[in-house]
Amino acid sequence: MLRYFQIWLATARYSIVRTLMFRADFFIWSLVELFWMSVNLLTVSVIYEHTQSIAGWNKYEMILLLGTSMLIQRFLMGFFWSSIFEMGRNVRTGNFDFFLAQPGNVMFMATTRKLDPDGLVNSVVAAGIVVYALRQLHIHPSVGDVLLYIVMIGCGLVIHYSILVMSISLVFWLTSAQGVEGTYFAMTEFSRMPREAFKGFATKALFVWLLPVVVVSNAPARTILRQFDWTLVAWLGGVAVLWFGLAVGVFHAGLRRYTSASS
Amino acid sequence: MFATFDKYRHAFLVGLQSNLVYRWNFAVRGFFSLFHLAAVFILWGAAFTGAGKGIGGFSLNQTLTYFVTLLVLQFFISAFNEDYQISEEIRNGLINQFLLKPINYFGYRFSIFVAARLVSGALVIAPILVALPVLHSHLTFPHESWRIALGLPAMFLSAVIQFSIAYIFGLLAFWFLEIQGFVILSMAIESVLGGQMFPLDLLPPAVYHVARLLPFYYQMYFPGAIFAGRITDIGEVVQGLVIQVAWALVLLAIGGILWVRGLRRHTAVGG
Repeated sequence: MLRYFQIWLATARYSIVRTLMFRADFFIWSLVELFWMSVNLLTVSVIYEHTQSIAGWNKYEMILLLGTSMLIQRFLMGFFWSSIFEMGRNVRTGNFDFFLAQPGNVMFMATTRKLDPDGLVNSVVAAGIVVYALRQLHIHPSVGDVLLYIVMIGCGLVIHYSILVMSISLVFWLTSAQGVEGTYFAMTEFSRMPREAFKGFATKALFVWLLPVVVVSNAPARTILRQFDWTLVAWLGGVAVLWFGLAVGVFHAGLRRYTSASS
Repeated sequence: MFATFDKYRHAFLVGLQSNLVYRWNFAVRGFFSLFHLAAVFILWGAAFTGAGKGIGGFSLNQTLTYFVTLLVLQFFISAFNEDYQISEEIRNGLINQFLLKPINYFGYRFSIFVAARLVSGALVIAPILVALPVLHSHLTFPHESWRIALGLPAMFLSAVIQFSIAYIFGLLAFWFLEIQGFVILSMAIESVLGGQMFPLDLLPPAVYHVARLLPFYYQMYFPGAIFAGRITDIGEVVQGLVIQVAWALVLLAIGGILWVRGLRRHTAVGG
């Protein structure tokens, strides 16, 4: 475990040095993420100029939900996004051999190789949005609430990571995983909405239970807003374990099909 | 005259063929945009329930009609990755061949853009037809005939503006190694000021009036609002068309200037 942490620290150090070499790039991409976050915030603000509530959530509760969803997404972008997407390309080109030759778990090596500091910088902004919403709502969470919130964010991160790894692992069978990026962003649109907005059995089954992106952001937000709910925490933890297990299974099944592409 | 037209007709036909190769990509993209539509229906449905009455003077169905119209328009007039293609041609030196041939690069690229949008536009019809049983009861288009008469030229001008902006971003490759950051940054601004996140008439009046003077308004929102009935005054539409023509000319001029200036910096290597 400690060895893996040391490996991760080395790759993190490499990524940060690399970012310092391309400072303008870092600045532009940080700005890109910041702009997209502002777009979502502005949309919520404009809608609430014309309505009092969306599925029972008031403006600042909705901003808290948005901040929570952004926080999970920024962590995913910062810690895993580039590595997972490069994995798709590497399998196609045969460069994936590089990871097989490394002295460690292939899935760990392939999905944690690069850190994106621009995503991590914006996670501070996302956390700021959550704190701002809490202040506006006059909610003062206890240390326990904050810890539980962090654990639930961690579970959410595991679920998003697992879904992404599973989707990209399709490249072992299909040779191309084009379009996964767009599909992922289409899914995250739902993560910014209150669970109560999903009406009807089919909609609930698909977006709330089958693809848990809605619960992933709703559960931590609800915990800090309303009250601690054991079933919600247990459900999120269970789902995180389940999806991670599935991701490991699919990745390794795909890995067995990998034949390299070099001459 | 005919010889000139014939060159671009051939570019258009080649564009049509090469885009038909990617028909599945467009079709899949079309089907995934139904997810976006589902998100819009869920979010705005909940917002209208919370409001208790209409939002911005429009009903839920009118608002949903607006978003469906925008989605279809997007596949007919939006620039998808034209900026990237142009920047790649500059970076890889593929642009050199156009400097030696009697062909206008903007005209060539625009012909291919029109072909690409015809293919993607035709392919978005399929997912819309699939979703029609659900959508049907929500669609409420206005019946005035002037909306078609003025909406179609507005739609064409929007396509010109969309392409010109993509062309300008593509030409930035003469100066910058990487343009994707600028493109996605501008996409964020366009998505708000182009009306893709919410109908622009929901903005505070002062902000809306400023937005009406910007080119983003004419990229997508303007024809969408004409067809979906968000703009009710014909005088406002005529005035909008005048501003739209002005923006199209300004952007075409900027594209022309960047092309000339960029070529001065360009170094063609190889033989």
